[in-house]
Amino acid sequence: MQLPEFEYLRPKTLAEGLAALAEHGPDAQIMSGGSDLLINMKFRLDTPKFLVSFNDVAELKAVESLPDGGMSIGAGCTLTQLADSEALKEKYPALHAAVFSVGSKHVRNAATLGGNICLDTRCWYTNQSESWRETRDGCFKTDTELCHVIKGADKCHAINSSDSAPVLMVLGAVVVLASAQGEREVPMLEFYNNDGVDHTALKSSEFLARVVLPKPTGRSVYAKLAQRDGLDFASGTFAAGITGSNEQPESVCLVMGSVGPEPKVLHESAEIIMNQGLNDATIEAAALAARGSLGEVTNLFTPSGYKRRLVKALVKDALNELREQGN
Amino acid sequence: MAKQLITLTVNGDEHELAVAPYQTLLEVLRDELGLIGTKRGCTAGSCGVCTVNGEKGEAVLSCCALAVEWHGRSVTTVEGVQEGTELHPLQKMFLEHGAVQCGFCTPGLIMSAKALLDVNTSPTEQDINEAMAGAICRCTGHIKVKVAIREAAKLLRARELQTNEAAAGAAGVNNGAR
Repeated sequence: MQLPEFEYLRPKTLAEGLAALAEHGPDAQIMSGGSDLLINMKFRLDTPKFLVSFNDVAELKAVESLPDGGMSIGAGCTLTQLADSEALKEKYPALHAAVFSVGSKHVRNAATLGGNICLDTRCWYTNQSESWRETRDGCFKTDTELCHVIKGADKCHAINSSDSAPVLMVLGAVVVLASAQGEREVPMLEFYNNDGVDHTALKSSEFLARVVLPKPTGRSVYAKLAQRDGLDFASGTFAAGITGSNEQPESVCLVMGSVGPEPKVLHESAEIIMNQGLNDATIEAAALAARGSLGEVTNLFTPSGYKRRLVKALVKDALNELREQGN
Repeated sequence: MAKQLITLTVNGDEHELAVAPYQTLLEVLRDELGLIGTKRGCTAGSCGVCTVNGEKGEAVLSCCALAVEWHGRSVTTVEGVQEGTELHPLQKMFLEHGAVQCGFCTPGLIMSAKALLDVNTSPTEQDINEAMAGAICRCTGHIKVKVAIREAAKLLRARELQTNEAAAGAAGVNNGAR
């Protein structure tokens, strides 16, 4: 497969890049590692007129410890850089695990954290070659108000497969979105929309510049299941965070990834643990509630029945691990 | 679309090339430079047969890299792995242990394994699995590939030991003279 034609822009500074985005708006596409975008372009899912590469902007590749005990990670840091970071592994082991679980070493060498957060949604109808798609009418993701995977759906149900997103949400991370007008901060918990076409808070003139992690206050875990361990999009991911003790939690946050257009915050399951602590009975109940809260739609790459069993198993395993950490 | 002039060092040789922005590193290596050792497989970052090594020896999927992004940088392809007229230990061990069936994935496997052994000559089973997860052989299992990598690691360790001893020996002579 060959890439479609585009004009290539390579700003030297962030300001220059933001000016290019302001000028070309929706015609421009941001590229960093290109491990996902270039493939989507080969499939003609993205055909930007302008490709803006931010790879020359050094400030996007910095990892800094903040005075308040938190950490700031530039969007252009490669996943290998983060997987090799001892500081990240020590302070945010769940995020380290999530980053390390992405793709293969080859992919992590190119892929960036910003790219993983903004990863385009995927679905078994759209993520095919152009000629394959031509055998049917378009869909929400291309040009028509139709969904081929869920008949009669009123929006796109493509799946958000970002491995880092659920953990960043659990850790209370904030993303800094830059544009020519300035910067704004958006908590990761508010960054995604439940719509496969317009799935993030990013506007076309904006760029995700860095991720700010607050000081770690509790324990967290990350779990992922994919059809194979190396190089595969997840069938399901789960991140859990808890502050306080297993018996008397002070806060609980549970997020399920790869089940819909946005990572799903499991409020009901979190409440069970919040009220009654982490024990065999509550873990079982939380896993069951997680399974129930998925709604009628699940990941379309695997049958929904499989997905429900998978969710229950993932939640149970991860919560057991979280409990062991606290013993 | 306007072509851009780039300088690309491949296996130590500097090339000045006019490339279109949409040309991938793989296309430039194969179609412009005729280095067809690097294979064109899925072209979607899944199979790893197009793996080359970047400046730090890291594994790079050349099908998912824009050639223009590699302006001023250097890559090593499977054609640049041999040491003078001798094969690299990895190549020797792939041959010796029959880690090749149809051979199409071999360049990608060699470059993926080299990325690992360049930084770690004592890889664990898990290190090898992680480094090779993105490079797939569809003919057969990866057992002989892994045997070849372990044996090549042994050769490289032996070589390191020799170099260290030689260095220590030289230091010893110096001490004696002092």
